[in-house]
Amino acid sequence: MSDMNLRDVLRATRRAAGEPVYGPITAVRIRQRISRRRLMTAGVSTVAAVLLLAGGLLWTLWAPSRPPGADQNHMESQDTRMRQLRAQSDAMSKLIREAMDRERQERALAALDAELARISDPAEETAQQVDKAAFILVYQADRLHRELNRTESAVDAYSQVIQFFPRNRWAEVARQRLSEIRERKLNKIGESRWES
Amino acid sequence: MAKMSEDLALVEQFRRGDDSAFDRIVERYSAEVAALAHNLLGWPRDVDDIVQEVFVAALLGLKSFRGDCSLRAWLFTITLNKCRTYHRYRRMLHLRVRAMDDAAASPSTDEGAEKGVVDQETFALVRTAVRVLPPKYREVVVLRYLEGFETSDICRLLGISISAFNMRLNRARKRLRKHLTGLTEDKS
Repeated sequence: MSDMNLRDVLRATRRAAGEPVYGPITAVRIRQRISRRRLMTAGVSTVAAVLLLAGGLLWTLWAPSRPPGADQNHMESQDTRMRQLRAQSDAMSKLIREAMDRERQERALAALDAELARISDPAEETAQQVDKAAFILVYQADRLHRELNRTESAVDAYSQVIQFFPRNRWAEVARQRLSEIRERKLNKIGESRWES
Repeated sequence: MAKMSEDLALVEQFRRGDDSAFDRIVERYSAEVAALAHNLLGWPRDVDDIVQEVFVAALLGLKSFRGDCSLRAWLFTITLNKCRTYHRYRRMLHLRVRAMDDAAASPSTDEGAEKGVVDQETFALVRTAVRVLPPKYREVVVLRYLEGFETSDICRLLGISISAFNMRLNRARKRLRKHLTGLTEDKS
């Protein structure tokens, strides 16, 4: 179908459809139509507003009303409920306060324990010092005896250890050394007598 | 040009409060507006409502008419817009209006049938083909083939570019040819 054919067919169809039908149009008629439309818009708005108002009014009138005295009972029950709630909240806050106090005390105790743990025992410290002094004396005596061959001085030193720290373990060591020295002396005397 | 200046004079008279100027505008253009609406809406019998709507819009907007285009083009633009609105409205009330339109849509027996221009079947076929076109395609077809507007005028009326117009017209032609294949075969 060519362009011309299409146009002819369309024009023929339009001719077949006939002339459009429409009424007389005048400025007055158009203005009346505009007025009618405005009136209708205003009418619809007014009807909607009236319906809304009527609905509100009906709701107010037909809203479920309470019997007389119901308000007072309601107030009383609310008051009781309020008191119960207040008592519950007081008990709860008391419990919370107690728990918090206990926790605070436990924290303070733990801190004190930690501080005490840091402080050393003075008796133990003295014992350590005594042990150290006895050890030094024994050590010096050993050196005098074995390295410098000053047996007399070593004997004096061992004797001091036994004298000053009689219950210390180093006093025992000093006694042992002294007995060894004595044994060695006796052995030497025996040998010399044997030889003489 | 004389017609345009006369139109502007009428608009000026109307602005000054002379209602008879509007009557003269209606008298001058109502037939063209009705014909355009008739074609755009797929040839319903009664276009009174849509024509009145066009002139209601014209009356309300005439005072702000700036004269950028001719009064005729301005009225045609209003008609196009009103027809688009009418199409949407018709889609909303599809079944009811369709039934009414179909009842009213038969070729007028006084002219068409007597002259043997198109028979009932052809009329129904072409009418359906035009009516099923999307409005934007139908507009270009009507303005081009039935109103005989120039391309530039159509582009100005519809506010589209020439390439858009050509594209729409081509697509409209394709759709029409597809629908009217049986008709062309019969004719050939």
